[in-house]
Parts: sequence; structure tokens; C-alpha cells
Amino acid sequence: MTDNLLSNISYDELVVGQRNGPYPFRVSAELASNLAGPIGVPVPVKWTPPAVFPTVFLMALRRSMGGIPSGSILAKQQMELLRPLAVESEARVVTWIGEKYLRRERAFVVFEFEVRDDQDEVVLTGRKVIVWPNGPRGDLTHDN
Amino acid sequence: MTIEISEFKPMEEVITQDSINRYAELSGDFNPLHVDVAFAAASEFAGTIAHGPMQLQPFFRSLSAWLDSDAFPAGTKVSVTYRHPARPGDTVHFEPLSLVESLDEYAVVRLEGQSVNQDGTLLAQIDATVPIRRG
Repeated sequence: MTDNLLSNISYDELVVGQRNGPYPFRVSAELASNLAGPIGVPVPVKWTPPAVFPTVFLMALRRSMGGIPSGSILAKQQMELLRPLAVESEARVVTWIGEKYLRRERAFVVFEFEVRDDQDEVVLTGRKVIVWPNGPRGDLTHDN
Repeated sequence: MTIEISEFKPMEEVITQDSINRYAELSGDFNPLHVDVAFAAASEFAGTIAHGPMQLQPFFRSLSAWLDSDAFPAGTKVSVTYRHPARPGDTVHFEPLSLVESLDEYAVVRLEGQSVNQDGTLLAQIDATVPIRRG
């Protein structure tokens, strides 16, 4: 993992609807096997286990924002699996912000994801709802 | 064919700072709330917390074991609401709560469950629909 680690991009800088990517990736046998069983206990697999896809979402976030948003908190996650993805095959992911909103004095940002395989078939779609560490005009929404 | 909720084997994931650090390496998510003990101690969580998807590992393993497959069938949908963070020292269990099975040739199984820790604290609510072919 050579991407930047953390990002301080603000809530106000996030643009709804702006697509980022595609970001190419390959699900390594190491990653797949370490997330197929207990975390970090390798279990050989042929197909990408579903636990890998949240890490693909994180990779896409890092690349689109220059890092994981520091102090952010994952509130919800959804995914729909449409095709199996073979381990070590090529794929790519696109991400965009579907929505951002305020609720109970906290800022929420909805990220959408779409993963396609090397045949340009959609493998998976997904969504993450993240509690953002700051709100409009940089106001802190909680103590991080 | 009738599917019984007891067919979903209980699975657990032991959360340690080492396993959180390992997940950070695998995912590239080095959010200080997960890996920086001093930073996390000063946060509203008063300590490090596990990455959210770590709480799903017992669910993923239970469903994979039931399906006897690495990959879930096309059309599988998983929705998770995180309610409470898991912390180092927690043992996360997946508890299936309800199962609804359609009676069509191509059945859709809806499985609702939750991740809880060793104290029974609700960590995440999980709702999955899984298309399966009978026979």
C-alpha cells in the first residue's frame, strides 16, 4: 500500500456526483486468503471473498481523496454482489459521492462504488455512509 | 427443502490491537482511531476501535460456510448498520436472528442477524438477501 495514509479534506470540498477513477487493482492471493477466515489467518481461496470488498472501497477512497479521512467513522455499509471475481484477476473501481447531509449535529457523507472486472462486467456495487470529522465551514461535529 | 436458521454456524472473531494493525496493513486504512493508541485515547472513544468491517468477519464466514463457497451468489445483498465499535479484547460473534425463505424455484433467503461482543453489546445489525437455486 503506497497511497497516502490520511486526508484532511473538508466536508465543504466534497462534491456530490463527481466520479473518481477508475482505479485499477488486483486482488492478491495474500489479501484474499487473509480475509477469507479469521483475519490474518491465511485460508487459500479461488474467488474473492466478500470481506475483501470493503478494503477495495477504502483503496478507492484513498485514491480519490489523497488518503483516508482522518477521524472519520463508518456508520453504514451496503454491497450487492453481481459476479464472482477470481483472485489475482484485474479489476477497477469507480467512486463518487452520492449524498452529504447533516443529522443530529453530525455530518454524513455517502460514498458510492462500482467494481468492474476485466470484461467490463459489473462485479459489485456498494455504498458507505461515513460520519465526517467536520461539517460545513469546517465546524467540528464531534471531538476528534 | 426447508432451511433452518441453525444451519448457520456460529463464528467468532477475536479483536486484538495486533489484528487491528493487521487489518490496517491489509486495507491500507491507518485511521488513527484504529492504530494510534495515544490519539484514540484522547478521542470520544477513549481508546482504539476496530475497523468496522472487522465486525462482519464472523457473518461473512458463517454465510460462506453455509453456502460452501468463497464467493456469494450473484444478486446477494448485504446491508450493515454499525451501532457500537469493537475494541481490543472483544470477541465478536455473529448471531442469526431470523430467516425468511421464499418458495420459488430460485429461492431468496433473507437472513437478519447481528454482531455482538462477549458482553452481549450490539455492535452491528446485518441484513442479507441471498438468491439460491434449489435442488
